[in-house]
Amino acid sequence: MSEVLQERIKSVIETSPVTLFMKGTPQFVMCGNSERALQALRSAGAPVTAVDILPDPEIRRELSAISGWPTIPQVFINGELIGGADIAEELAQTGELERKLASALGGDYADSADERVVSVLVPG
Amino acid sequence: MHGAATHTLEALLRDAFPEATEVRVSDRTGGGDHFLVEVTSPRFDDMPLLEQHKLVNAALAEPFAAGTIHEMRIKTKGSR
Repeated sequence: MSEVLQERIKSVIETSPVTLFMKGTPQFVMCGNSERALQALRSAGAPVTAVDILPDPEIRRELSAISGWPTIPQVFINGELIGGADIAEELAQTGELERKLASALGGDYADSADERVVSVLVPG
Repeated sequence: MHGAATHTLEALLRDAFPEATEVRVSDRTGGGDHFLVEVTSPRFDDMPLLEQHKLVNAALAEPFAAGTIHEMRIKTKGSR
């Protein structure tokens, strides 16, 4: 069960240009730090794929086991952990976030900056 | 159950970063569970931000796991 969940989490991280694991969704954010990370990504024009970790506490456990990062939110670019809200905010303020996005995704990454929400829940 | 005291967290950070020129923990809400942690250390020079924050997280892993820290913000600086 947890192996399936771990595979699903890894798959989202590895196949999405930008993944944000958060409490709630971009439409209904449930935590101030998730909001800070989301706003930092939006300010850089990032194409955010959001995963809500609240539906099942297993998601957070498996995610932290994969990433080695203890808290939520967590931001990944092209499968690489960037950090939490403080790092996302600091990188956005210095312009480093845009540079990272451009070098990972190409200079025109902001042209397709759609937000989407995916679920990693295992049905049944 | 009281949260962690700022001086307890500062002591853990000073143990982990004996070379730090500044270690400061502030209680952001007065409730003893939302903290701002600031560490200035030459060890952070040329270290990626992610690794800097990982070191701070590791230093405070115990109170974090115990649930005495509900939320913490981290601000790290190098010596330059």
